Amino acid sequence: MLKMLSYLLSVGVVTVKDLPSVLPEETRAMPVLTENPCVAPECNICESVCPTNAIVRDSDADTVTLDLGACINCSLCIVGCPSKTIASDKNFISVVNRDDLLFTTAKSKKTVAPNAVQAEKNIFRKSIACRVVSTGCSACDLELSACTNPIFDIERFGASIVASPRFADVLLVTGPVPKAMHEALRSCYMAMSEPRKVVAVGSCACSGGIHRDGYAEANGVANILPVDLFIPGCPPHPWAIIDGLRKLMSLTP
Amino acid sequence: MKVKQITVNDSERLLRLQECLKQSGNRLGFVTSIDGKQLATLILKTSSGEAELWLTPMESRRYHSLTPHIPQAHWQERTLWDMFNLIPEGHPRLKHNLLHESYKESFFPLLPDALENTESANRTYSSMKVSGSGIYEIPVGPIHAGIIEPGHFHFSCLGEIVYNLEIRLGYLHRGIEKRMTETPWKKLRFVAEAAASDSAVAYSLANVSALESVSAVAVPSRALYLRSLALEIERVAMHISDLGGLAGDVGYLGVASALSRLRGVALGMGELLSGSRLMRGFLCVGGVLYDPDNRLAEIQKSAKDLQDKLAAPLRSMLSNQVAIDRFTAVGRVSRRLAEDFGLTGPAGRASELVYDARQFFAHGAYPQVKPYIAAQSEGDILSRTKVRMGEIDSSLRLIQKFIDELPAGKVFEEPPEQLEKNSVGVAVVEAHRGELIHLVFTDDNGAIKRYAIKDPSVNNWTALAIAVRNNLLADFPLCNKSFSLSYGGHDL
Repeated sequence: MLKMLSYLLSVGVVTVKDLPSVLPEETRAMPVLTENPCVAPECNICESVCPTNAIVRDSDADTVTLDLGACINCSLCIVGCPSKTIASDKNFISVVNRDDLLFTTAKSKKTVAPNAVQAEKNIFRKSIACRVVSTGCSACDLELSACTNPIFDIERFGASIVASPRFADVLLVTGPVPKAMHEALRSCYMAMSEPRKVVAVGSCACSGGIHRDGYAEANGVANILPVDLFIPGCPPHPWAIIDGLRKLMSLTP
Repeated sequence: MKVKQITVNDSERLLRLQECLKQSGNRLGFVTSIDGKQLATLILKTSSGEAELWLTPMESRRYHSLTPHIPQAHWQERTLWDMFNLIPEGHPRLKHNLLHESYKESFFPLLPDALENTESANRTYSSMKVSGSGIYEIPVGPIHAGIIEPGHFHFSCLGEIVYNLEIRLGYLHRGIEKRMTETPWKKLRFVAEAAASDSAVAYSLANVSALESVSAVAVPSRALYLRSLALEIERVAMHISDLGGLAGDVGYLGVASALSRLRGVALGMGELLSGSRLMRGFLCVGGVLYDPDNRLAEIQKSAKDLQDKLAAPLRSMLSNQVAIDRFTAVGRVSRRLAEDFGLTGPAGRASELVYDARQFFAHGAYPQVKPYIAAQSEGDILSRTKVRMGEIDSSLRLIQKFIDELPAGKVFEEPPEQLEKNSVGVAVVEAHRGELIHLVFTDDNGAIKRYAIKDPSVNNWTALAIAVRNNLLADFPLCNKSFSLSYGGHDL
């Protein structure tokens, strides 16, 4: 016991004090559409390399549409784009409306709507008790667990992970929600008292990701429950999850 | 690797298989089917590092079940019914495995002309009933208290003792095997990784190795080493996470917190190597995505540091009397049981089954590089804990060795556009949970007609259900954690 205490004291505080405003340098980030003109129709690289059909090129209208809600940040489109129309974006992203994850070259600037809830009216400002329901491959679960470790330490912002929906304010759903989980997820939501929020964590939860439109009907959380915040990524980095939850609490704009 | 194909009729299949498994070094790899017109039984031969595929033509929908004599076929035969409508005659507890009541009885997704008849009834399921004076039942899940994947545990208890545990999975069934036949083959690695991301490297390694065995591409040796490097980083990260979970479950929070922090160091190594903490998207057919040359020195230094930093918390865990008491002689799997259920990975090696796919089957830099294999004999939680600790140490040494001995050269070789026609490829990878098998079948045009995956957890889940019998109910979370099984990898 004393040895353990002395060990823990010797390690000291490992929590990262200053919240980073962007992803770490070595992290593979999500793509963003820049103002560099696309060289389509000759080039079709981005659409052809995308594993989840998150990029659709419309040759008639000469536009590229990028759905970050389906993107699994493989970076192949960023590397492949000859005109640098698609670039890497280290900024965190989370949105209230699913449509705000759709970007086209016509309106390449990110015009993400600010949090719809007024900060002073947000009753979740001080603390949120979160219930995690996993319906996917466990990548997002691992990153959510990482959020609670001493390095990221999400609890310092007032967000805690709780063991029952009965006393949860927020339902964090990971994974594409396949058919066998539809009912379980619904009943978990019904067990929560109002007011309650639902957050889709990860690209599968946002859209079904790589699993969408299969026979298992794994097309994301929004098909089952009303979603209040979408945090895309495959998986989203713990800092991105923390940033998203702070947004839900109106701690960041 | 390529496999030798043999036709074995249903009438002689069981006897021949029993004979075959009696010879030391032979393992039952996989029981599945290609399109419902045959059974495909994969035999792994550790003596030669080769595999044999027994094809059993099916004249009707029924075949002789292996399960009464070879228990490890139990869940695989249930899955065969789910997916192909093939029914094992004589299976002692035949019920659906992956597809739940929300699916129609007439729907078998991997049959080539699978159609859901909306008029047919939904599937049914019933748990095994345990009755008698004082027996009570506890249903747990599919949603659990922690941050963990979904599964249902049905305990039948007498007092505080678990009499029977029925594990029901399939909640995460996303139709991965079907999706694997719908996706262009060079993008398959992304689908494979998304099956179970805690084994993302193992899954992508198995995927690219299986595909490379049916396409003429010579992967540069530097890429093979980098793949193994990634696999070992993943093993270290996940073992640390599992040990931390065990410490947390016995209430030793100091160690749990230290290990959750140190797991971050291992994930950081993965991020340096590949740009992703879980090393997603790093491996590709023909090699790896890019050469992380300028970061290797830092990864090596991290591995060395991690080895030093892990010493104190791990030693502390093994010298804590509460932890030792809770770990010892609980959740025991005898060697006999381990063999019957084909236990694999650290769970098998804790029960004297000294089998590690890295010793025998080609993947990454293996089997040319020989890893140190940690093994124990008691088969309890303590043994599984010690095996994991041994493997962390062995893997951290390997990581440093790989970086020291990394061959020069390129890391990617462009593969041909087409896979070989009418071919079968198999890959056996030692994931951190054990033997992971990917099987790929191509058709007349070189397109993939069937892609089959067997996660190490398939065998180990059934063994867990047996291992917790006659243990205290309160010890179940600990038992479960010590096996650390995958829901997503099983459910696909």
